[in-house]
Amino acid sequence: MKGLLLKDLYMLKHYCKSYIFIAIIFIAVSLSGNDNMFFVFYPVILCGIIPVNLLGYDERSRWIQYSGTLPYTAVQIVSAKYLIGLFTQITMLSVTGIATMVKMGMADRIRINDFIILMLMMLIVSTVTSSLTLPFIFRLGVEKGRIAYYFMIGFIFAASFAAGNILGEDLHSEIEINNILTILCIIGTGVYILSWYLSVKLYEKRIL
Amino acid sequence: MNVLEINDLCKSYDGFMLDHLNLVLPQGCIMGLIGENGAGKSTTIKLILDMIHKDSGTIRIFGKNNTDNLKLLKEDIGVVMDEVGLPECLTARQVGNVMKHTFRNWDDAEYLRLLKKLSLPDNKPFKDFSRGMKMKLGIAIAMSHGSKLLLLDEATSGLDPVIRDEVIEMFNDFTRDETHSILISSHIVSDLEKLCDYVAFIHKGKLLLCDEKDKLLAQYGILHCASEQLKSLPPQAVRYKKENPYGTEALVLRDSIPAGMDISPVSIEELFVFMVKEAG
Repeated sequence: MKGLLLKDLYMLKHYCKSYIFIAIIFIAVSLSGNDNMFFVFYPVILCGIIPVNLLGYDERSRWIQYSGTLPYTAVQIVSAKYLIGLFTQITMLSVTGIATMVKMGMADRIRINDFIILMLMMLIVSTVTSSLTLPFIFRLGVEKGRIAYYFMIGFIFAASFAAGNILGEDLHSEIEINNILTILCIIGTGVYILSWYLSVKLYEKRIL
Repeated sequence: MNVLEINDLCKSYDGFMLDHLNLVLPQGCIMGLIGENGAGKSTTIKLILDMIHKDSGTIRIFGKNNTDNLKLLKEDIGVVMDEVGLPECLTARQVGNVMKHTFRNWDDAEYLRLLKKLSLPDNKPFKDFSRGMKMKLGIAIAMSHGSKLLLLDEATSGLDPVIRDEVIEMFNDFTRDETHSILISSHIVSDLEKLCDYVAFIHKGKLLLCDEKDKLLAQYGILHCASEQLKSLPPQAVRYKKENPYGTEALVLRDSIPAGMDISPVSIEELFVFMVKEAG
């Protein structure tokens, strides 16, 4: 699988430079005093679309067919995309995390617990978004799958907003928040693994 | 030992059916798969690699069922499809790095030697390659990981005649090692005629014929004669006839024709065209 990851890293370097630019803009806006969480969240969530874009380039170059001639299993081909997605999301999360820490430091209100919660929330939202999209893409191809991705982003933002309103009113203690986060982490991990499994099964059935 | 054995292979799509295909490729041999567009050549190669799933039948590669640990089998198979699907932004050197981590027996020195031999730049992105260069890179990859079997689907198309000749020579060299074999499909029947030990004709998903090339060339001939002369021949001797204002041209079995008649040698291309017309 090393070859697949290396190939995706070469492609990432070539095609995804714009993501660094977008991340810098959003982080700069966030550091300049804008408290809207969207500016912190968006670069990480955007990384969720990287495996989708890479699959798009694979389709266009007919790598999808070519990889069928190479000694790779469907499990390896699918796993490489999930790993690249996770790698980019964690990298962006680290950058965003440093920026958030700087912002908290500038406002003189560093709270480690809040920071961890924020990072976890970002990682869960980002991985769940790509988890819900990738099986569609492995089955339907990128064009139809991309529509599913945007639909998922809309759905998750709406769900987060609704959940925020409800939880904002109902949560009174840190323990409750920690419990909910633990549950969300378990659900997020479960969804990610289930998504990977579904993608493998759907990719095995795809005609190359 | 047979490198490839296909028995009663069937696959149907909307408007196409590969119908009980049987093929055997002995070790050390080159077999040419000849057929018109849509005859089932690419489908056969994709089925061998399990890129599409068969409806029925069996495929054995190196004596093993192709669905049992195909990953391991593919280590020994070099494949060039009609389009080489490499990422457009990668250079040949980067492709080499990817393949080094893909094949256990990747030979970097051999790959670089082939890039040089085929005049391929190692630092130019794949998207800037011509079709011929893309095919050559595909061939270089297929021949750089210690393959024992090459599956080539229209691998010589898009190459200019000089390079095509060089590539055919490379394939010939490859089979000098008697453990190496090739299954090649091409529209350019003259290439296959130069290269192959065996030929298989596929037409509309059915195998018309599969035999040794030299045996076929010795067995068949083209008879030029008047229509009345042709009528005097035993019916089983004439496989196909073509009448025109100047006389009759017929594909005949040499052994069944009386001595003294004007029989000229048949080329594989002519044999294929006659047989396809006979099959309708």
